[in-house]
Amino acid sequence: MVMALDVLVAILASAVYGLVVGSLPGLSATMATALLVPVTFYLSPIAAVATIITASAMAIFSGDIPGCLMRIPGTPASAAYTDEAYAMTKKGQAETALGICLWFSALGGIAGTLSLILMAPALAEVALSFSTFEYFWLAILGLMCATLVARTSPIKAIAAMLLGLLISCIGIENPAGTPRFTFGSTDLLGGIEVIPALVGVFALAEVMRALTQKDIPPIPHRRLGSILKGQWALTKAYPKQQVRGNIVGIIIGVLPGAGADMAAWVSYAMAKRFSKEPEKFGTGHPEGLIEAGASNNASLASGWVPSLLFAIPGDTITAIAIGVLYMKGLNPGPTLFTEKASSMYALYIIFILANIIMIPLGIMMIRASSHILRVPRALVMPVILVFCAVGSFATGGNNLFAVLVVAAFGLVGFTMEKNGYPVAAMVLGIVMGTMVEQSFVTSLIKSDGSILPFLSRPISAILALCTFIALFWPLFAWLRRYKASFDAASPAR
Amino acid sequence: MRISDRISGVFLALLGAAAFWGGSRLPPVPGQQVGPSAFPMVVGAGLVIVGILIALHIGRSFEEQAEAELAEHSQPDPEAELYEKRRQWLALLPPCLLVFYYLVSERLGFIITAAIMIGVLAWAFNARRRLILPVALGGAVFIHLVFFKVLRVPLAPGLLPMPW
Amino acid sequence: MDSISRRSILAGGAAIGAAAGLGVAPARAQAWPNRPITMVCPWGAGGGTDQTARIVASILERDLKQPVSVVNRTGGSGVVGHSAIATAAPDGYTIGMITVEITMMHHQGLTDLNPTSYTPLALMNEDPPGVQVPGNSPYKTVKELADAIKAAPAGKFKASGTGQGGIWHLALIGWLGAMGLKPDHVAWVPSNGAAPAMQDLAAGGIDLVTCSVPEARAMIDAGKARSLAIMADQRNPQFKDVPTLNESLGIKYSVGAWRGIAAPKGLPADIQARFVAALKSAYESKEFQDFMAARGFGTKFADPAGFAGFMANGDKMMAEAMKAAGLAKKA
Repeated sequence: MVMALDVLVAILASAVYGLVVGSLPGLSATMATALLVPVTFYLSPIAAVATIITASAMAIFSGDIPGCLMRIPGTPASAAYTDEAYAMTKKGQAETALGICLWFSALGGIAGTLSLILMAPALAEVALSFSTFEYFWLAILGLMCATLVARTSPIKAIAAMLLGLLISCIGIENPAGTPRFTFGSTDLLGGIEVIPALVGVFALAEVMRALTQKDIPPIPHRRLGSILKGQWALTKAYPKQQVRGNIVGIIIGVLPGAGADMAAWVSYAMAKRFSKEPEKFGTGHPEGLIEAGASNNASLASGWVPSLLFAIPGDTITAIAIGVLYMKGLNPGPTLFTEKASSMYALYIIFILANIIMIPLGIMMIRASSHILRVPRALVMPVILVFCAVGSFATGGNNLFAVLVVAAFGLVGFTMEKNGYPVAAMVLGIVMGTMVEQSFVTSLIKSDGSILPFLSRPISAILALCTFIALFWPLFAWLRRYKASFDAASPAR
Repeated sequence: MRISDRISGVFLALLGAAAFWGGSRLPPVPGQQVGPSAFPMVVGAGLVIVGILIALHIGRSFEEQAEAELAEHSQPDPEAELYEKRRQWLALLPPCLLVFYYLVSERLGFIITAAIMIGVLAWAFNARRRLILPVALGGAVFIHLVFFKVLRVPLAPGLLPMPW
Repeated sequence: MDSISRRSILAGGAAIGAAAGLGVAPARAQAWPNRPITMVCPWGAGGGTDQTARIVASILERDLKQPVSVVNRTGGSGVVGHSAIATAAPDGYTIGMITVEITMMHHQGLTDLNPTSYTPLALMNEDPPGVQVPGNSPYKTVKELADAIKAAPAGKFKASGTGQGGIWHLALIGWLGAMGLKPDHVAWVPSNGAAPAMQDLAAGGIDLVTCSVPEARAMIDAGKARSLAIMADQRNPQFKDVPTLNESLGIKYSVGAWRGIAAPKGLPADIQARFVAALKSAYESKEFQDFMAARGFGTKFADPAGFAGFMANGDKMMAEAMKAAGLAKKA
């Protein structure tokens, strides 16, 4: 299935696309994926999924390039170790730094894929016996996770999530089949489509942000030596860091709402904490780079685990991917692994393939980067704007209303981000709102109105317990911090 | 467009209250224990609570910590900050251009609308003058070719139908 | 300079438009169709309606010697697309595929459009609902199931297949009504379509699913579900073993999800006749029949008069079922 010509062409084209978009500062991997959706619309299901997998993996890697060469991260996922990579470049080790990013990204991606291959089918077996009661807790747990992992105030994260849930209420697609918050508009009857909303939040908001920010200086031309030289030695020198990065990346990928950028931050911090020579961090030391680079690409693949099994997105990229899966008749769920097993095998192969071709294509990209990074954003951004309009129009059923949705969500996303409200939490709310409500209402109908099965079924009870822990964790953390700051501020010391 | 937490919190609380009120007026559905009103009411009530908490600056310490961490990783650039402040209202331009597309693309057709959008935005980005027109036209025609011809998206022909 | 040239372009464009309009009107009878035809599909790409529309369009294209492009206009739970068909110019260049929802939505007060808002052209497909139970269900025939339902207290049995007030829900309500039972005698568990409902059926979460037999096919083939009856006048030739309700219960009740081609109201009679002839030969073509059979879609043809009568009848049945279930707005 993977060897079909259209799939191979799709992989190659989206690889180049992902590398270019990811390397342009300000254009994130999520945005690259969001803008791909209208194109996937016209591809075969496997080719469509292949483009998303490949483009996102490439974009996450290639975000490292401008970070390394210019100290400007191409994607937020590279921000954690941009300083480190740039310090290496200043020391004249640009090749090694870029090589680390590439080599350990590819290895991390493959490790993440292995986790997907091993974890997903096993979990699918368990998930087949899940009823709406379990799905309800899973959905709630997913939403709670999104608020826990946000790098900002958990209260604002909850607010953003609730806003997303409220948006998901709009329309008639609810268990009661009753129009809600449509204000008499026919267009709102069908609800807010996820894809235009995501294009608005991730692509349009990015254009808006770029408009207010200063243009970056052109990259100095630089002759680069061999990229892969010495990578094998580094792999042998830092095996622990790499494995730890992979594992942390995989875990963070599986958690709903937390993606590659979170994985990179956590892994970099871990590398520093457990390092034998933490004083070298920030001066161009490869250790943190290895761990974080291995981590963000690993999270990318494992983010697909909850997405494919439960339609709960592991990160913002898979939030988009879920929309595409539904569009292509590959509805997420445990049956995907039993009834459409061959499609899943194809997916694994695509993941591996994408991470293998990342190495040669990445080297070419690094060599071409000084040219690509010189394309003025004054010309790129306007074209992206029109892409937002046409793309959402095409995926939104050729309905111009989708263009308005993009405009509105661009505004919302931009404002939220500026004020510390995590956009990813809202996206998760939009994607999962219907699931929460549907599973709750149908569970109640099945149990004749009794709440008991939500707590008495064994798996349900475990999930419920996890949810309550997640629910009260922010409060606990806040109290502890409050106490700590109080202690620190008290004159008794 | 930095708004104080007080304002954004109050706004969220009001939005939640409106959702609660709107939800409460929805009719129940026969045969369902929980009607269509329950979910919006729960979400609305939640928004009221967190909105008030935000307005009271609760949880602000987490943000300060994250900001400090971020500041550690980037050098302050007062010039860039000033630039950003001066241009902040310009951020409204891209959504406005999309509304423009919504309003006129059926009448003017895709090519003209898209060329105007690209031209205006390129100008706002301070593109070189002589590049604006070719990029606007070239970009519009290129996107039309890709989406209309290859992907068969029914873009409005309007006043300037393309020969393909 | 700028404003002048723009104005002249505008004027030129208007002139071309007017010329085109004038040119089409008198020459229509001989020359129609002389430009591409658009077929609006109110549902998303890849779904059953979209697939049916695309196969019909590809056959029409050869017959009419003009491209027939399918345009998906989704949104508003089908209202957007249906209104796009109804409000297009009745010049024979915009037609569309209308679906059973057109007989349902206006009762809910979602739109003013109803079957009489169109010039009907041809009915192409109808899928009657079946009555599916889990593979290990104790009920071997629909009679046993019906007796058990009658004997059970209201709400004991749970059924699913689509959202609240969807076509399969109304089919169940109609069947219950024909047996003299209240609409809520069997509790309806809303689902996102037939596939998740069938999965829940196999997992033992619900007792019966009233979706169409082709939709249930995968689970039936896997032995996880059985189809006891279909709510139609005749058996489906592809599922010969499944009896009709009339055969096993003596209940004459038939309903179904259907799809047909319609044009905006006011389509000239000559164009209508040409379309009907083309659609009839498309329906009879081996290509169409094979395509529908391969996907398990039922086929049913009706000419404009028959289609209009079919829709009027369906509209009345839906009105009754929805009123009984408390789903209709104008009760």
